[in-house]
Amino acid sequence: MAFFDIKGLVNPLSTLKQFGNKPHTVEYPKKHKETADRYRGLHFNDLEACIGCGNCSTICMNEAIDMIHLDNIEGSEGDSGLRPRVDNGRCCWCALCVEVCPTGSLNMTKQDIFISSDADAFLWTPGVSNPEGKDILSFTSDEKTSLSLFDRVPMPEMEGEERVKSFAETMLYYTEEAAREEASRCISCSLCTEVCPDHMHIPEYINAIARGEDEDSIRIIYDNNPLGEMCGKVCTRRCEDVCALQVRGDAVAIRWLKEYAMSRAETADILKEIVNPDIQPANGKKIGIVGGGPAGLTAGYYLALKGFDVTIFEANEYAGGMVMYGIPKYRLPMDSLNKQIDYMKSIGVKIQFNTKVGKDISFDDIYKNHDAVFVGVGFQKPYNIGIDGEEANGVIPAVSLLFDVNSGKTPDLGHKVVVIGGGNVAIDGARVSRRLGSEVVIMYRRRVEDMPADWEEIEGAEVEAVDIMPQTIPIEIISDENNKVTGIKYLKAEMKADAGGGRPRPVPIEGSEAIMEVSTVIGAIGQEADYSFLSDEYMNKIEINRGRMVVNDQQQTKDPKIFAGGDAVNRTADAISAIADGYRAVKAIEKWLMK
Amino acid sequence: MREKATTLYLGPQHPGITGNMMVKLKVEGDTIQSASTHVGYLHRGFEKLMERRNWLQSFTILCRICVPEPDPNEENFARAVESIEGREVPERAKWIRAMVLELARIGTYLLWFAGQSGSAGLYTMGQWSIGDRDYILDLFEELTGGRIYHMYIWPGGVRRDLPKGFKDKVLQTMDYLEKRLVQYDKLMFDNTIFQKRAKGIGWIDPAKAIEWGVVGAPLRAAGIASDVRKDDPYEIYDKLDFELGHATTSDVWGRSQVRRFEIEQSINMVRQIMDKMPEGEYYNRIPNPMKWEVPPGEAYVKTESARGEFGFYVVSDGSNKPRRVHVKGPAYVHAVTLLEDLLKGANISDVSFIMNSLGTCPPEIER
Amino acid sequence: MTDISLEKEQKIADELERTFPNLTARVRRARRVMASLEKELIPSVLVHAKDNLGFHHLSHMSVVDWIEDEHFEMVYTLWNHEKRVQLTIKTMISRDNATMANIDTIWRQANTYQREMREMFGIEFPGFVGEKDFLLEDWDEMPPMRRDFDTMEYANKTYFSRPGREDAQDVRDTISKRNGEEVPDFAKKYSREK
Repeated sequence: MAFFDIKGLVNPLSTLKQFGNKPHTVEYPKKHKETADRYRGLHFNDLEACIGCGNCSTICMNEAIDMIHLDNIEGSEGDSGLRPRVDNGRCCWCALCVEVCPTGSLNMTKQDIFISSDADAFLWTPGVSNPEGKDILSFTSDEKTSLSLFDRVPMPEMEGEERVKSFAETMLYYTEEAAREEASRCISCSLCTEVCPDHMHIPEYINAIARGEDEDSIRIIYDNNPLGEMCGKVCTRRCEDVCALQVRGDAVAIRWLKEYAMSRAETADILKEIVNPDIQPANGKKIGIVGGGPAGLTAGYYLALKGFDVTIFEANEYAGGMVMYGIPKYRLPMDSLNKQIDYMKSIGVKIQFNTKVGKDISFDDIYKNHDAVFVGVGFQKPYNIGIDGEEANGVIPAVSLLFDVNSGKTPDLGHKVVVIGGGNVAIDGARVSRRLGSEVVIMYRRRVEDMPADWEEIEGAEVEAVDIMPQTIPIEIISDENNKVTGIKYLKAEMKADAGGGRPRPVPIEGSEAIMEVSTVIGAIGQEADYSFLSDEYMNKIEINRGRMVVNDQQQTKDPKIFAGGDAVNRTADAISAIADGYRAVKAIEKWLMK
Repeated sequence: MREKATTLYLGPQHPGITGNMMVKLKVEGDTIQSASTHVGYLHRGFEKLMERRNWLQSFTILCRICVPEPDPNEENFARAVESIEGREVPERAKWIRAMVLELARIGTYLLWFAGQSGSAGLYTMGQWSIGDRDYILDLFEELTGGRIYHMYIWPGGVRRDLPKGFKDKVLQTMDYLEKRLVQYDKLMFDNTIFQKRAKGIGWIDPAKAIEWGVVGAPLRAAGIASDVRKDDPYEIYDKLDFELGHATTSDVWGRSQVRRFEIEQSINMVRQIMDKMPEGEYYNRIPNPMKWEVPPGEAYVKTESARGEFGFYVVSDGSNKPRRVHVKGPAYVHAVTLLEDLLKGANISDVSFIMNSLGTCPPEIER
Repeated sequence: MTDISLEKEQKIADELERTFPNLTARVRRARRVMASLEKELIPSVLVHAKDNLGFHHLSHMSVVDWIEDEHFEMVYTLWNHEKRVQLTIKTMISRDNATMANIDTIWRQANTYQREMREMFGIEFPGFVGEKDFLLEDWDEMPPMRRDFDTMEYANKTYFSRPGREDAQDVRDTISKRNGEEVPDFAKKYSREK
């Protein structure tokens, strides 16, 4: 290279040409360059859609997100009432909070500039501090991009044709691998525990499963529910309705996971070894329990652990009440329930079987020989269907059918059964009838989506070829000269909006009347309690209102010595509410007797 | 009069130093007798922090190890985790990753143009190339939602698919940059002043280069055709047609030529990628991030960053947090033992010139 | 495409095992060989790998703290440019009074790594010359990259938090308080990480 390298001196001067070019820069602040569609700017939170699960706060490794109370937001079922506040001084705009938000309420906006000399001004409650943010959403998550796992691990089930051949369990339940995978979907927000009547420690026992600690999971379940396996199979699982994942996907299979954990304890002995409860020495107080259903068993179990001398008076051959006699065996096998009850007996709960209070022993005896009494008698007496011809032979209440079948009988229902009702009992009646060899039709006044039965039960009925006739109102049962049922007359209905703002009502369609030939009619309209075991004296002491015993928030009746729980007390009338009642009564009885 | 030796502290705040570090110089006149690198101004303890974050949370701080070119960090970490876990990465994600890495390389080289020429007094060049780099950042903003810290390549693939119309924008930007290269040549490489400054400065002995741990453009300038993309291909680099930069002199001039050549190659590679990128999924979803456990194992993975071999040693003990993440950027060697050596006998005014030519990046020395 | 045949890798592994009887080497996949051996032999294996097997490039040096086993694991990653093979050499050293042979005479850039290991893990390299402070300055606590150094505790002890965030609530506590749910202590380790 010569010192006078012409190219090396002239070429750089070509830059001078750039003077004529248009500048590349924008004239900020006169003009503001618009950010890209995915820009990760400041947060915006849709306060209505947010459920306060706190997953954003958990994933944030900068501790930039705090969950706080806001003045105008109250907690409710499925909403913690808390909302995220972002410290923009700590935020690194990674937007992982957006990626893990199960509802999709938290997103980033295009707002990329915020200047303040006040450090506190950087604490923002997205959605409150920047309501205008909703119009400039930028980095968002949808079902595809979200890191929430919205798809439930499928539950293996028996084929429909195989199912109706026997009373074998239709659910084949999770394998270990499937359970771990399903459990690991849980984000541990604990919204579910609020809705559970018994406030079970759901995230804890699910996380124990996720970490492979099944025995810890069992111990956590047994902390306040001694019928975990039963609940694992047949709970009404309202917890799943408020699961954070259910907003945009499938709820965590809380019920099936509980079943998985509990099934690890194959016998009562193993269960006892795992739970290894701390049993208090006898305290000399005697408790009598009327009815060995979920409420009575729960009260009995925890009272026995606390050193009380507990005797349960059970009318039937087996304990369990409605869950023993009212739930078909393909959902809850007898062995499973007996295992749980045997374990209770092994820690000192005494059960007198075949002892009907009011017949084999008087309530007065129990009352006088015990320091406190817990009444958990349930709803045993079925309602009538309330239409003409109901007294004919071949009209059976569903609970009676279930009782008979669960007691080992195989009634002949003829070729075709109609079930009237839309709740779980109706579905149970229908599916049991299928197993007894009949064709089955369910008549329900409203739409399928209005049926109070569990959706998985409805699906199960459909798989088993039960014909569901929605918007159908039975009006008369027809029988032959021998008073044997031969058919049912019904009307089709259309759904009309309710003027009072309630749910749509079925209104019969004129001229839609038809008759279906059937051999059996099963009514599943509901049940009520039978208080005939209580003498007038006790009926007066215990206040009964609309068929239910009145209790305070401690499950105590007007007679302080009598506590009550279960279907005959609460309105939700499911097993887990009964368990909750029993558990609450334990604390109250202890407080009342041991003060 | 005899000149006396004196000690000169260059940095940690000095326009010629690329980041916060200090070079302690023993000088006689303006000739350096010995130099030693002092770091510690940027130590944020990322590796330690990652040991208390879960695997996904770790991913978000990685990019901060290198401001100009964060993507090799993300890619390395993702690939290390995938390798330990055996996680499949969709084919399309691999192509997108390669595109991101090449765009990042172009952007980094543009920034290097600015540093290299700026430390020789050619400020116009810096204004141009940093301005042009912003067009790459625009692409990143559109693709990832962030201009500098992309947080885009994560275990299992990439975070989002290409937005609509992205391909055309990329190709337009490539065409534009290709045209600009001609002007860069006139301004920088043809420039007598730059040539006089660059030739013969910061010479690395080619016979010793490998042993001394030299990597990247400086190694190729020393005549050794070594590049992780060729030697140990990752993602889809074995499906791309490209040449390595080469030079005849193992000095600043040679290293500049290598980079100048490779920017052209990268533009070409981005075009190939846009042409060949298959359709399909871009992400193989990880489990619930709070419960994601990576099976026990370890991996040392490396990419060819704009500064050379960038390595990540990742160890899992089977838990939901990394046991150890050890990041090794090229500057760990280049800016310490190598730089100290190259500065012996150099002129003070060449310190930042040499540092730039080695791709000095203090945050990767201390992490 | 990756090589299907692992011949060259196997050759290296065999050669290493032949030369050093107490060394176990295995081929992990194409271009990856891993060897482990006792600490005393490390310098000779490294010299052998560098001088006789063509592993001229020291890619990386690392240390992992296996505090439960009271070990540090030393990891040397070498690269052979010609054969394109990565050789990882590992050894365990005692965590107590940890010492390791100085190898900056083999690769001088090892000097930097060793300075960092001394400072961050407290590993001594007898005979090794290098300035004491590397990333830290006037540090008199436990070497901070050791697993038993608690970053959070140190941060809380050394720095203060800005006020203004005291009203932060825990979702789990909020909900259990509202319902009177008593989460038993033994279950709390399964609650959401805070």
